[in-house]
Amino acid sequence: MSESFGRPPPALQFLRGLAGERHGPVWSFMVLWALVMLVPLVGLVVWSFLTIKGFRVSFDPNVDAYLNLFESGRWSVTVRTLRIAATVTAIELLLALPFALWLAKGTRSNAVRAMTLALLTVPFFLSVAARTIVWRAVLGTKGFVNSALMWLGLIDEPLDWLLFSEFAVHLGLIGPYFPTMVFPIFLAAVMIDDDLLQASRDLGGRSIHTLLHVIIPLVMPGIIAGIVFTFVPMLGADVIPALLGGGHAHLLGNSVHSLLTALNYPVASAMATVILVAMVALLFVLRLLMLRLGGFGEVFEGLRR
Amino acid sequence: MSAASWPRLRLKRRRNLDEAWRSWLSACPGYVIIGLIYAPIVWLGLMSATSEPLSGIPGDFTGAWYERLFQNTKWVDPLWLSILIAAVVGLASMVCATMVGRALPHMRGRGPVLFAVILPLFVPGVIMGTALFMYFRSFMGLRLGYWSLGLGHFVWAFPFSLLAVLVMASRFDTRLLDAAADLGAGAWERFWHIEFPALRPGIIAAGLFGFLLSFNELSRSIYVGGRKTTLPLYAWAQASSHTSNIPLIYALNTLALVASLILICGAFWALFVRRERA
Repeated sequence: MSESFGRPPPALQFLRGLAGERHGPVWSFMVLWALVMLVPLVGLVVWSFLTIKGFRVSFDPNVDAYLNLFESGRWSVTVRTLRIAATVTAIELLLALPFALWLAKGTRSNAVRAMTLALLTVPFFLSVAARTIVWRAVLGTKGFVNSALMWLGLIDEPLDWLLFSEFAVHLGLIGPYFPTMVFPIFLAAVMIDDDLLQASRDLGGRSIHTLLHVIIPLVMPGIIAGIVFTFVPMLGADVIPALLGGGHAHLLGNSVHSLLTALNYPVASAMATVILVAMVALLFVLRLLMLRLGGFGEVFEGLRR
Repeated sequence: MSAASWPRLRLKRRRNLDEAWRSWLSACPGYVIIGLIYAPIVWLGLMSATSEPLSGIPGDFTGAWYERLFQNTKWVDPLWLSILIAAVVGLASMVCATMVGRALPHMRGRGPVLFAVILPLFVPGVIMGTALFMYFRSFMGLRLGYWSLGLGHFVWAFPFSLLAVLVMASRFDTRLLDAAADLGAGAWERFWHIEFPALRPGIIAAGLFGFLLSFNELSRSIYVGGRKTTLPLYAWAQASSHTSNIPLIYALNTLALVASLILICGAFWALFVRRERA
């Protein structure tokens, strides 16, 4: 190592080591990362097979917690969560697919594209609770929508299903979970070579054929990724159903919370495990698709563009 | 092209018109949803300045709620705690993201490593919060507090910070470092004078992203906060109890959103605008 620029102060020796050695620090970081990220998740799964007797954890593995999940009330929460998450994910996909394709290949303006991508990124960094609570003032019985409809004479008394209902939860979920559907489809569509589309056109393919046989297969990994990134986090939605469901549309996230408050750790972790298993299964499907296209490292190629 | 082929070309043009996904019509629903994302923010601001926010109709604008917010000082301590934790988390994810991000594009097995690092993006907040709560509290028997809030936020913020650094690092030409080494620069000089300036926009954005994600974090904080109250936790508790404080929460949320928006603009400016000018 050259010393031509003078020896840095001893305090910088450590930093200097980090600056020189590239891969060593990454592996030590990954060990720490596993300790605060992967081990707790695995622990959660382990917890779901244990029981608490008195205040002590008993280490005889059993599936009582899972049988408990099938009890009437809890099972209906699971079904409701799956139904709402699937419905909203389907709505997001229907809206995001044409939008993402247009954004990637339709618009000619780079400014429009950059601006739209920025508008889709900003919400990740804003508080969901702060953005959701105001829906109450819009949808409530005295809210804006009801007042407007009554003023127009369309209804005589306020609609009570607008707020604290499944309708409100659906509506509240659509906005916050939209960007996670658009981004993967956009990234997949941007990587399509324009020459392919031109070739399909030159060979006489009608645009609907180009869409179905060229574009859709090529963006399929993006579509699957979008579904995974939207559906899985939505299975754990807690803030939005709590604020807009008003107890009428409790989802799994809310149940996990009430179970934890009741110190029922095994059932809470069984419920969380169900969501985790759904996540791992969907990620596995995604990985199979990605492998066909060169593995997860391909993301780096995408970033380089 | 011969004249005879003109009609055909016309026909082709018209056919291309039914490429619906190319037309702005297919973009409309998307912009409606973007409106659905931003309308509540604007509405929140309007309601926070309305004299009767619970009536649902904006109007009769007043600063009275903000005045009352500044008389009621219960939210000040949570605010400082949030700023402190967000600053520590932002700094930590900035440093770690730089360290990992500069090496990752050149590593073997970078795919699995990247996957392990961005996994928390898919794990819902409740699940991660529950997992960390049980791990720290029940398995290790530790007392939750500032440190667990910080760790919980770090696990959430780091993937975003890393992606910000990776945007720059994957474009960085490492041959520049070899050239510097040939010219006699040591490891530290190579990093500080060449690599760091090239990655700087990503590093700044990583810090700001980490700060913002920690500052606004709620789902995980509910579980790992112990008895400590951050600003989102305070607003959440106030909003959940059906108190007359809701208008104050509107005002408080508006201020937090505006501050966040300003910081995001800074991050985007560092990451994209400045780079294009350079």
